[in-house]
Amino acid sequence: MNAVTMTTDPAAGRSAASQKLRNLVFNEFSWIWGGTIVLFIVCAFVAPGVVRMAAISTMLPFAAILAITAVGMTIVIQQRGLDMSLPGAMTIAGLLFAKIGFLTGSTLLAVPLTLAIALAIGIVNGLLVAKVNITPIVATLATNAILLGAIRTISGGSFMTAPEALADFSHAKLFGVPMTLVLALLFIIVVSVVTKRTVSGRRFVAVGANPAAATAAGIPILRYQVATYAVATMCFAVAGMLFTGFIGSASQTAGNDYLLPAIAAVIVGGTPFSGGRGSVIASGVAALFMTQLGQMVLALGAPTSVQLLVQALAIIIAVTVRHLPGLLRMLRG
Amino acid sequence: MAGPELLLQMTGVSKHFPGVRALHDITFDVRAGEVHGLVGENGAGKSTLMGVASGALFATEGEVRISGQVMSGDPELARELGLAIVRQEPALMPDLSVAENLYLGMPRHLRPALSTLNAWARKLLEHWSTTVSIDPRDHVTTLNPEQRFIVEIVKALACDPKVLVLDEPTEHLATEDVERLFERVRRVTERGAAVVYISHRIREVQAIANRLTVLRDGEGQGTFDAAALNEDQIVSLIVGGDLDRTFPDKAVPGAHQTVLATRDFSGPGFSKVSLQVREGEILGLAGIDANGQREFMRALAGIYRGTGHVAIQGREVDIRSSQGANRLGISYLPGDRHREGIFPELAVRENFSIRSIRDDVRGGLISSRSEDRRSDQAIRQFAVKTPNGETPIQSLSGGNQQKVVLSSVLAAKPKVLLVDEPTQGVDVGARAEIYKILRETARSGVAVIVVSSDAQEVAGLSDHVAIFSRGRIVEVLSGDRVTEDNITASVLKSTEQRDKHHKSVGAFWKWAAGNVAPLAMVAFAIVAVGGAAGLYNPFYLSPRSLSGMMTLAATLAMVGYGQQLLMLVGGIDLSVGPLMGLAQVVASFFLLSDLGAGTQAAGWILIFGVALVVGFVNWALVEGLRLHPMVATLATFMAVQAISLILRPTPAGMIDGTIMIALSTKIGIFPVTFLVAVALAVVLEFTLYRRGLGIALRGLGSRPEAARTAGIKPATARLLAYVGCSVLAGAAAVTMISQVGIGDPRAGLNYTLGSIAAIVIGGASLFGGRGSFIGALLGAIFIVQVNSVTVFLRLGQEWQQYLMGVLILAAVALYSKSREKVVQA
Repeated sequence: MNAVTMTTDPAAGRSAASQKLRNLVFNEFSWIWGGTIVLFIVCAFVAPGVVRMAAISTMLPFAAILAITAVGMTIVIQQRGLDMSLPGAMTIAGLLFAKIGFLTGSTLLAVPLTLAIALAIGIVNGLLVAKVNITPIVATLATNAILLGAIRTISGGSFMTAPEALADFSHAKLFGVPMTLVLALLFIIVVSVVTKRTVSGRRFVAVGANPAAATAAGIPILRYQVATYAVATMCFAVAGMLFTGFIGSASQTAGNDYLLPAIAAVIVGGTPFSGGRGSVIASGVAALFMTQLGQMVLALGAPTSVQLLVQALAIIIAVTVRHLPGLLRMLRG
Repeated sequence: MAGPELLLQMTGVSKHFPGVRALHDITFDVRAGEVHGLVGENGAGKSTLMGVASGALFATEGEVRISGQVMSGDPELARELGLAIVRQEPALMPDLSVAENLYLGMPRHLRPALSTLNAWARKLLEHWSTTVSIDPRDHVTTLNPEQRFIVEIVKALACDPKVLVLDEPTEHLATEDVERLFERVRRVTERGAAVVYISHRIREVQAIANRLTVLRDGEGQGTFDAAALNEDQIVSLIVGGDLDRTFPDKAVPGAHQTVLATRDFSGPGFSKVSLQVREGEILGLAGIDANGQREFMRALAGIYRGTGHVAIQGREVDIRSSQGANRLGISYLPGDRHREGIFPELAVRENFSIRSIRDDVRGGLISSRSEDRRSDQAIRQFAVKTPNGETPIQSLSGGNQQKVVLSSVLAAKPKVLLVDEPTQGVDVGARAEIYKILRETARSGVAVIVVSSDAQEVAGLSDHVAIFSRGRIVEVLSGDRVTEDNITASVLKSTEQRDKHHKSVGAFWKWAAGNVAPLAMVAFAIVAVGGAAGLYNPFYLSPRSLSGMMTLAATLAMVGYGQQLLMLVGGIDLSVGPLMGLAQVVASFFLLSDLGAGTQAAGWILIFGVALVVGFVNWALVEGLRLHPMVATLATFMAVQAISLILRPTPAGMIDGTIMIALSTKIGIFPVTFLVAVALAVVLEFTLYRRGLGIALRGLGSRPEAARTAGIKPATARLLAYVGCSVLAGAAAVTMISQVGIGDPRAGLNYTLGSIAAIVIGGASLFGGRGSFIGALLGAIFIVQVNSVTVFLRLGQEWQQYLMGVLILAAVALYSKSREKVVQA
């Protein structure tokens, strides 16, 4: 009823500014910052080992790779989709990169070629979803199967060592910061600025929030939907190449372990499945949170299985916490 | 006091929606044997009042009695007490057949035996008209609006109602059906029942009603004998004391430059429209709904494709898309605000700026200072009542939402402004402001075109009015001739009746969109692939190979049934795979040969107990905590897998050999598990299509609101689906024991995606309402077949994956295309 009885008084301008500030600091995407800080503090007490510099610098590259996949997954979820072809895309990128790198002897050539193929895969995904009208989860499930087939064809079923240049790059540091982290930050910042501060980004959000209204407002929605999947697949491809470089070989299953964590990171970060709103920064922070949480659980002597359980709990808590104000309001009637 | 019996009594009823007071302290009663007219403008609260009466809406305050008994928010009870309602937007479930919709629409004691369902439904439809073109087996999606409305009326009449509520019944009907309806109404009142007749057409109400009640802006204006009032008196009650609403002054006549001109412009629903709009003028489009005026406007907005000539400021243009229209300076304010106007969860600021965001770009990036300034200015200028610009637009009242959208459209500085229903759902105060804004916009040189179903609004706003009938312009009124009476007369004269029109759909597409097509196609594919592989390599059809495939198919099919059950109500369960693994792990602790029968029995109970618990947790997360099904079951996926891995970090625990042998028993070449899976498919399919429960589940998945009005309890039905899904996954896990034989925590992982793939190939819709257990069985067989056929064809393993991906895409693309084709507007 507030909306109806409110009047626009001169004080409204001031309260709007403060409201804006409040919205900027306390929104559904800010929880994860608090959670991550609390997590590191808890770590310092219960498992001091995992907050030492050495431990953190081993953890960061993995968090960074997860963050890059989470960026891709976030924008797809903002378009009310889900990209199940992450494992295939990530693996095939690592593999193609190694293959092209060895065939041509040039890393400089391998990167753009791999990205071009990733772009094509993403466009196919986007067209299947937006043009042929196949539910995203089914469409990307099918392309994932096809990609897994292609992986077998390309690799012939065996491992490939990563080109040295890539391995070096993945392990390199820029002013003491791991290269993977630099790239992850770059991805997060660029995608975040584009979605929040550019014309295309705003239209992208509008298309995700209500495609029919976006059409009526003169936004070419097909282009945005297809581009979303294309950019997402490029994110997965970059993550795949970095991962290959980092572990030193292109396996056939590199991407399998990233699908669920990437989706989990998006959820924990606070991007809802209802479309439109979302935050790649929150997803990136959540990737760090989830990785560090795993490290802590491991350091406490628990096996990987417990790590999984803790992550499941993190998802439920993360989502419930954001619903809590609404739920309480509902209970009070 | 012994007057006539009161069949419906509503006392002091109020209804509040977030931000809107829809009804305020209404008292309304209906006597036996009368036709009670309920009149008022659009948005006066007529439909809301009847929503409360029928139990579809809870009253915020007040009491409803039907036949003397208190009823509150319980559609099932309202129906049992004898209230039947025919809604303006029929509450039908699109994926169900006409007969099934009629069935769910009946109170329980009037429902027929399901074996005679179609014959029963045909008889009801013939009661309405013997020449009816509706087949009871048709899906409601394939009906046009008029046919849907007839189904809704037939449904209400078949209940033998004591109180029959008709909400704007003549809007959708052709003349002969209107006469039929009036005759039915008289028959209903003759047998002592009552009719509530809602309409905004006063003459129609006067003709048929004994008494009438007037609503204005959610408040009752009194109940009168219909004969005691003349038309003008009714009108003044409807619109309020002063007859003339405040409309701004019109344009000064004179020579104005033409801004927009169309010549022989045609498109879907309209043809050869030639019109001009001049600078400073507003052109109104009027006509009965769906006579082409709205379609004409949408074609100008680039949403539909039109052909012919359009010129803006004398320059010929080609409008290819909504984006193209936008670029030409055409802005469109959609009539369906919720669907096409607002971005509900985004802030007022974002909703305002989206159509003119380029204005805020400074050096390549959006300047939030500029955006804030512009949106704050718009909020002030349009007097939008909102706490501030950061409030999500969905929490504003309808009028304020409309003002935000209008300000947003105007901020794009259009040359041509297209406005569909400028004041729909807008409260009286805001209307005058919107009229003023539209007139000022026109005065600033913008060509404005307005479509409205409210003749008074068109008359008050427009300088010229074009009357549409059957897609063509039949008359253009100008100057003094633009009056409400002239418009109404012209509309009524031109369109005596609606055309009966029906989109024709090719027989193949109609078949492909049906329930049987996926089954037939998958079965054909199974036989074709099997035959080809058998010819190439006879071993493929050997008993050993066939038994092996059937064993695998049985497991996949059973978990597929679970997934299918859940997907029918619009859910999805990712946790089925890990649950099957957990079942293996449980078995590996209890089903051992050196343990007694008691422990083994406990093991069996535990396997299904675990399944029950997982299903319940999934349901609680989705229903109680309102998590998205994907999110909830992803969490349980991880948790269940974790528990399996904690219990069995590595595969261990050999299961009792006698159990393994028992589970792999064969009759001939048929594994018992496969026969069970087939039997289960038949039973479940029978329940789904021939039992009330199955129809109710499909109805719920098809359209939850309509299912709720049909008395289905969504939470209970979903509990059944979630628990059923997990229990079926548990059963699938049991069949898997003989294949795995050991407590392997990862044994089930592939079944999550496998089960989804199987049912999708079998024709299930991820949106709910459509699906088949036989389809799931066939899908499962097909997947197992594709996985094994590559070996026999000596193809590389990668072909398994290629085939799987391509086949899923082909199947789903075909289903999605065919279902799109048969949908009537």
